[in-house]
Amino acid sequence: MSEQVTWAPYKEKLQELLEQLQAQELDQHSALADLRAGSTAISCRTWRSEQAEKIALGTIKTAEQQLGLCMIYPAAGCDLPVYVSRWQETQKQIVFLVDLVPTVDTLVDEAYRVKYIEPMGQSWDRFASLAGIWPEEDDGVRAVCSIIYTAARMPIERQGQRLAALSPHTEYLKSYADYARQAGTVVEKAKQAEIERRVRAIKATLRINAVKLIGPMAPEHTEGLLELFF
Amino acid sequence: MARVEFKDMIEFEKELVERHRIFAGLELEPLESYLGMDTRQALEIKKPMATGGYKAFRLKGSGKIDKIGYGELHYMRRAKYCSLNMTVSDDYDLPIFACEFDESSKRLSITVDFMPVVDVGVYPEYREKYLDVLSDVWRKYRTLPGLTEEGRCLVQRRYGPWPWARESLSPYPIDGRIPNPEDRYTVIEVVVAYARTWLKLLEEAQPIPEGDYKQEMITRKRAMQKYYRDLDPGGEVLKKVVGDEMEKVIVSLIF
Repeated sequence: MSEQVTWAPYKEKLQELLEQLQAQELDQHSALADLRAGSTAISCRTWRSEQAEKIALGTIKTAEQQLGLCMIYPAAGCDLPVYVSRWQETQKQIVFLVDLVPTVDTLVDEAYRVKYIEPMGQSWDRFASLAGIWPEEDDGVRAVCSIIYTAARMPIERQGQRLAALSPHTEYLKSYADYARQAGTVVEKAKQAEIERRVRAIKATLRINAVKLIGPMAPEHTEGLLELFF
Repeated sequence: MARVEFKDMIEFEKELVERHRIFAGLELEPLESYLGMDTRQALEIKKPMATGGYKAFRLKGSGKIDKIGYGELHYMRRAKYCSLNMTVSDDYDLPIFACEFDESSKRLSITVDFMPVVDVGVYPEYREKYLDVLSDVWRKYRTLPGLTEEGRCLVQRRYGPWPWARESLSPYPIDGRIPNPEDRYTVIEVVVAYARTWLKLLEEAQPIPEGDYKQEMITRKRAMQKYYRDLDPGGEVLKKVVGDEMEKVIVSLIF
């Protein structure tokens, strides 16, 4: 690598917004909270809130790459979608995915779609003009995503583009925070079971995808990181 | 951008059925009645603003197919609205093959897809069995100009204004507007590739057992059909052109 890259402030920007969720931090002293192993730096934090069973945010940095992940899973009985943000940054390119993944089949459950997915349509439309907008390449991940997911493989020519690429992540997270304030409680047992089943499927699919990303960057800590995020 | 005159527009049915012989080896028999409607009235349409026709079939001696329908509507010698749709009976869980192929002088609007009849987020094995077979073709053609512009690939955006329609798409839709006249026949190749793949899956299809999975499948399939039959934005235009009754027949044959 010929020059030092100033990575995008992925963790910092998302953490600022996560504070709006009034969440309680879990295990501040986890080994993965702040770990340096050779040229690899791992920094991960987790929280829990009334609406979120788990909020996980972290980065793995090497000299060549910054990998960022942020996941928010709904608490039992809460109908919120799963916030998913994935960030793979190199000197020349940022490949990313951000979505509010529904916890029900939103073709059948129109009310859920109208409540949580359709209001995101304007953001989805606006981000379509970002450079490098591209379908999520992992077929399994694309299959669990909502109709408003934003993904890209953005070429980086100027430093400012790193911040532009962060904007869908912060925008979707702001919407998530708004939704969290008005989240509904699921009382019907069948609906609860449907949600639990879909959340399990989402976690399993994203975990398979994450192994491919985390494994090569932090082989000794892959299991711990997967446990933390999924 | 070059324009395409009506006389040079693609003869959709001829291309698929005669030139590419996508149904070769299958014994199709006319489906004369569907949902209590006489489908023969749609075979030949002659209205002041539109001419054309829609044909519907089943497979002779097989319970696999609910309907195979294709047709064209020529609008005032300015545009062609063509479709090919294939739906299996409720004892099978194959995705719905859906293709809209609409030509005007300026562009070709295309949607071709295998619409999954179960939630592929929950059933990855369904995706692996029925949809991942499209992966190579989808990756090859998604970069056609119109689907990809200036390094941005925007498949699944043509249905932007209709979230319910986007919900019906698989992870492999070829969906967008193609401006280059020379790419129109390339799109026919895509339609043929998708259709042949679907028909191969049909050949191998086995009935699914009664149970929760089947019920979920039928619920989703009905929801999808209801959306398209009630809300398809093309429906209102079709009503004006061919009348309410004929519109109902055509839309039911498509979805």
